[in-house]
Amino acid sequence: MMNRRGATGAAALPRFTQQLIWVLAGFVLAVLPHVPDLSPWIVAMASLGVAVRLIIELRDWPLPPKWLRIAIALLVMLGVLATYRTLNGLQAGTAFLVIMGAMKLLETRTTRDLTVVIFVAYFLLFAGFLYHQSLLRLPWMLGTAWLLTVTLMRTHQSAPMAMREAMALTGRMLLQALPLAVALFLFFPRLPGQFWAVPARSGATSGLSDTLSPGDVSELSLSDATAFRVKFDGPLPPPAQRYWRGPVLHDFDGRTWRRSQGFFPAQSITATGPIYNYRITLEPHNRRWVFGLDAVTDWPGERTGLTFDRQLLARAPIAAPASFTLHSSTAYEFVGALPSGIRNIDTRTGDSNPRSKQLALELMAQSGDPAAFVQAVLNKFRDEEYFYTLEPPRLEADSIDDFLFNTRRGFCEHFASAFTFLARAAGIPARVVAGYQGGEFNPMGGYLIVRQSDAHAWSEVWLESRGWVRVDPTAAVAPERIERGMQAALPESEPVPGRLINQYDALVKLRLAWDALNTAWNDSVVEFGAEHQRALLEGLGIEDADWQALGVGLVLALAVFFTLLSAWLGWRFRPRRADPIARSYQQLCQRLARVDLARQLHEGPQDYLRRVAGRRPELAAPLAQISRLYLGLRYGPSAGEAELRRLKILIQRLKV
Amino acid sequence: MLRGFLGRLRGKIRVWARRRHGIDTDPTVLSGRRIYILPTGLGVAFAAMLFSMFLGAMNYANNLALGLAFTLGALGLTAMHYCHRNLAGLKISSAASQPVFTGETAHFSIALENLSPLARHELTIGNEHGTAMPVRIDSAGRAVLQVEVPARRRGSLRLDHFEVATRHPFGLFRAWAYLHMDMSCIVYPRPAPRGAVPPPVETDVGGAQDSQRGDEDFAGLRNFHPGDAPARIAWKAYARQQGLQVKVYAGTAVTSHWLDWNSLPGLSVEARLSQLCRWIEDAHAAGHAFGLKLPNLQLPVNIGPAHRQRCLTALALFDPAAGSQNPPS
Repeated sequence: MMNRRGATGAAALPRFTQQLIWVLAGFVLAVLPHVPDLSPWIVAMASLGVAVRLIIELRDWPLPPKWLRIAIALLVMLGVLATYRTLNGLQAGTAFLVIMGAMKLLETRTTRDLTVVIFVAYFLLFAGFLYHQSLLRLPWMLGTAWLLTVTLMRTHQSAPMAMREAMALTGRMLLQALPLAVALFLFFPRLPGQFWAVPARSGATSGLSDTLSPGDVSELSLSDATAFRVKFDGPLPPPAQRYWRGPVLHDFDGRTWRRSQGFFPAQSITATGPIYNYRITLEPHNRRWVFGLDAVTDWPGERTGLTFDRQLLARAPIAAPASFTLHSSTAYEFVGALPSGIRNIDTRTGDSNPRSKQLALELMAQSGDPAAFVQAVLNKFRDEEYFYTLEPPRLEADSIDDFLFNTRRGFCEHFASAFTFLARAAGIPARVVAGYQGGEFNPMGGYLIVRQSDAHAWSEVWLESRGWVRVDPTAAVAPERIERGMQAALPESEPVPGRLINQYDALVKLRLAWDALNTAWNDSVVEFGAEHQRALLEGLGIEDADWQALGVGLVLALAVFFTLLSAWLGWRFRPRRADPIARSYQQLCQRLARVDLARQLHEGPQDYLRRVAGRRPELAAPLAQISRLYLGLRYGPSAGEAELRRLKILIQRLKV
Repeated sequence: MLRGFLGRLRGKIRVWARRRHGIDTDPTVLSGRRIYILPTGLGVAFAAMLFSMFLGAMNYANNLALGLAFTLGALGLTAMHYCHRNLAGLKISSAASQPVFTGETAHFSIALENLSPLARHELTIGNEHGTAMPVRIDSAGRAVLQVEVPARRRGSLRLDHFEVATRHPFGLFRAWAYLHMDMSCIVYPRPAPRGAVPPPVETDVGGAQDSQRGDEDFAGLRNFHPGDAPARIAWKAYARQQGLQVKVYAGTAVTSHWLDWNSLPGLSVEARLSQLCRWIEDAHAAGHAFGLKLPNLQLPVNIGPAHRQRCLTALALFDPAAGSQNPPS
């Protein structure tokens, strides 16, 4: 075979080469979504494997010898082990699959080898869904699955099969398989939890952290990503009331606020205002906070729990989109006194920030009681030269002093931290609360979107007459931040996520529409579970469906699928019917055969009918007519409808 | 060990299928009921992959992964139906088979005809000795494939059984049907080594005398015998309604032999047949005329491929017990 890489291009490539190229394409498409999650060297090795195999094929070089392949495979396996410390778990497993698939390419010589690579690619798609279930990736994943299936079919054809034909055939098969897949998806019983433990994915936490260090490099998320969505059953709380509580921070070392490790009795509250009933759907953030609205009054006890400082925590880190139905109140009173243990930890100030302590004592002396003190501090923030900015300068070791007396620039963390410290220094129990504030209403989906950029921090102080009271010092400095969001509070010069988009109304609408679609997708598909199943079955009139009922239903679905598909295929493959002229003639032959005048195999119509006429002279005239008509219809220049009708009538009326 | 066991199992299943379906008519249209289908090794691997996907998806409670596993599973079941339907309704008929010598491989030609309006893919036929290269048959199309059977003994070789099979569409399933058609092939004796015994030569009186006159000279007409070259037929005489006659040129009929069973005493039956076979082949290759004398059968001197075939068939079907041979059917 000379010059296989001829100028004629792909059409001139040998079949195996063509098949290999398609398999490589499918493999690369399946690996691509994993690239951000993989170690760079694995991506590099996999690319190298694909490239080397392609060059070997196009240049017609020999494949690497077996010992080399085994050595490479062992080395990369050790590499994966060294990088991830395990071969178990999603990340290491995916890396292993990618690298082994790429190494398998180096020994790919037969249809069987190609099939193995296709199977690996299918499995990578599966792993891809374990990482991300977003609607955005779905077309890519489905397209890749289709291409892999088409390639699987084409590699198993001895005769070349055109891409179009293979695509049409597999497309039709996928459509036919879909109803069964949907039935299985809807009715296959879901398990309540994991049945074997897998190592959790590490390092992938996003959103709020559980410490707060004003003055360090800003950890404030400038991300436009969604933190959670909230759908209210009834009216929404006004924007200024939309405080979503996350971690509550008690311990302060002069620079960093941390959560308390102590255990204290919970304090109960009575709601004095309206109760909001809502469903919150969290994007996975791999921590336990469920960001309930202000004071949560009712929560699903089997999946969540409330701490003494009213943080709502899920039982397990939220690693997949999760929804919770909650009740909250924004107006409430605390019942009983503050336990001394809590008072103890929430008035600690340590040895740091002496100037701030001094300031607090002075302010307290001027105002006289805690409520007046709070107002005095807020007035100070409002009236003196304090600025709200997302780009504050770094702070010295005594961060509160440095902020209050030198830099005077900061965002919510700085103000909340400083306020809490001052309150404590004045002897008022106080704590920092981190969470989110605000949210964008999506009129298309009828829900609030709370983004990472809505992250916020504020204070809570204990006032003897009212219990814990929320104080948001940021509202004193930049009231627009609370009412209308961060973009309104910041000068034009500072970058804010989404500012560009928000200048165009159409883009905003498009973004909201896309978000509404995503939410519907998450609610109905990604989070489809036992609850949805029960609701669906009740909708079909089946109450209290148990496993057995679902099993019977699935078997029935399978039976229906088999019957319908079998019947449909049988109908599609039914033999062609003979044309009407031939059928009339066959009818005549059959009738004559019944009176022992069967046509001999070698006889044409002319000879046969002449022989019959010889045996049955009374039929000679009609038979001659039939013979002439039939030959005319069959072999004549044009076959008319009238002649065909006459032929049929003549044959029917023939008295044999 | 396992392979042997599987082979025996296949044999048993085939015998059972034969009892169930009997000898097939020619042509046979495959009904769905006689098509068997099982997953291939690849299909089992695919199922194992899907099962691990399913377990993983359930473990992570991941609906999209579960959806992928279910879709691929449903696709596999759909493929099973396509595989079965790819065979059902196929029309199978026997086509000619060429005679072979003992020790060679007989090729039975079998025609597959697709009566349906859709193409059928990856159709193949085979038996325990091998499988033909799979073919695609378009709507209303037809393909002729061959099954091989080694011809170990002279006589009439029956094609006991063969399979029509397919692995379309993904190679995950293999559907097949056992067929038992009444097909046979003539197996000539194995020719003896060349030159062991020279054939007896008997000169044809008429031809040899005139041979000096050269090949070009027309010497007259004789009656047509099957096997005569069409170029020698006197078509003008045929047009004059004198029947089929052959032009004879002086020197045309050169050497002619009588190949006689009785001229080979002291050899076994098969050795004699082998020697006769060798003589026939040599004489035919040299363009000589020859006649064959067997106990109770005499084929007169003649030339041509048809004559050779008739003689070789007589050798193939020679029955020493009867001292004669069965008339060629």
